[in-house]
Amino acid sequence: MFRAILSAACAALMLSGCPSRSAAPDLRLSDGWARATAPGQSSGAAYLTIDNRGERDDRLVTVATTRAATATIHQSTAAGGIMRMRMLATLPVAAGERLTLSPGGTHIMLAPLTAPLKPGETLELTMRFEHGGERRIPVTVVAPGAR
Amino acid sequence: MKRFRLILWLAVALAAAAALWLIARTEQPTPPSEASFVSIGGPFALTDSDGKSFSSRQLAGKPYALFFGFTNCPDVCPTTLARLVRLRRQLGAGDGAFDILFVTVDPERDRPADLKRYLSLYGAPIIGLTGSPAQIERVKKTFGIFSAKVPQPGGGYSVDHSAAVLLFGKDGGFGGTIAPDEGDAPALGKLKRLTA
Repeated sequence: MFRAILSAACAALMLSGCPSRSAAPDLRLSDGWARATAPGQSSGAAYLTIDNRGERDDRLVTVATTRAATATIHQSTAAGGIMRMRMLATLPVAAGERLTLSPGGTHIMLAPLTAPLKPGETLELTMRFEHGGERRIPVTVVAPGAR
Repeated sequence: MKRFRLILWLAVALAAAAALWLIARTEQPTPPSEASFVSIGGPFALTDSDGKSFSSRQLAGKPYALFFGFTNCPDVCPTTLARLVRLRRQLGAGDGAFDILFVTVDPERDRPADLKRYLSLYGAPIIGLTGSPAQIERVKKTFGIFSAKVPQPGGGYSVDHSAAVLLFGKDGGFGGTIAPDEGDAPALGKLKRLTA
């Protein structure tokens, strides 16, 4: 009898699960792209979608690529008719949030580039998240007018 | 008593003046609002991306869209230029429907050859203009444009600048603006009216 109760309790525990365990990070990176740059242009911008399917808030802390000395999180804002671009220390991605980095908003600034970004080229970004750890995403370079 | 009242009123007036002064002081320097753009524009002389002198007289008889930016701007400037090229295509009247002008607010770094390389990426004609810092300052004033260099944490600098695209009709008259957050449909409507 005692054994039966114990095994039932165990089964119940397993079914309900432990909240701290089910909060394993589930980050999905997709649609990495960037616009081609001209020779002499020191910086480029990369865009992507970050989908946090996990149950825990996370944040992007660093980005790296072999195609530029630095890859940093930047945000363009237009307030009062003035375009401003500022660096963000980190980029929070709340649990369940799907964040699309797109032109005129948040982007990954690559600067200075080792060489111009050429249409058709694919580069890789290594993104480190506070909880999700290191993730890699391919970034496809397109002609500036393509999207 | 009368005197006390007077002093009290004076104190009130002083407090009101101080409050007004504080409000005025804390207000950010902003560009002229769209309403005050009505009188903007005027003749100017700059250098094009081939290094040749460019006069605003060359624009006579054709509408144009004017955008101020800089080539080391990785996000907003390519977005705006790519959008103008796309809207001009959607208009369906060819690249001759209106001119697209890109004036640098970073003349120290953007020389004619830099503009030429940068603008060649868009696969459509865009007139790139630069000049001496003094010339650029004059043109900015003529068109009510704000810009300011901002140091970047990793070194170098970025440039904050007026975001709107300014539109001018074929008679050279001001024809409104296109804001970056404005939808394509109203923007296209403005360009249709401009080129009609």
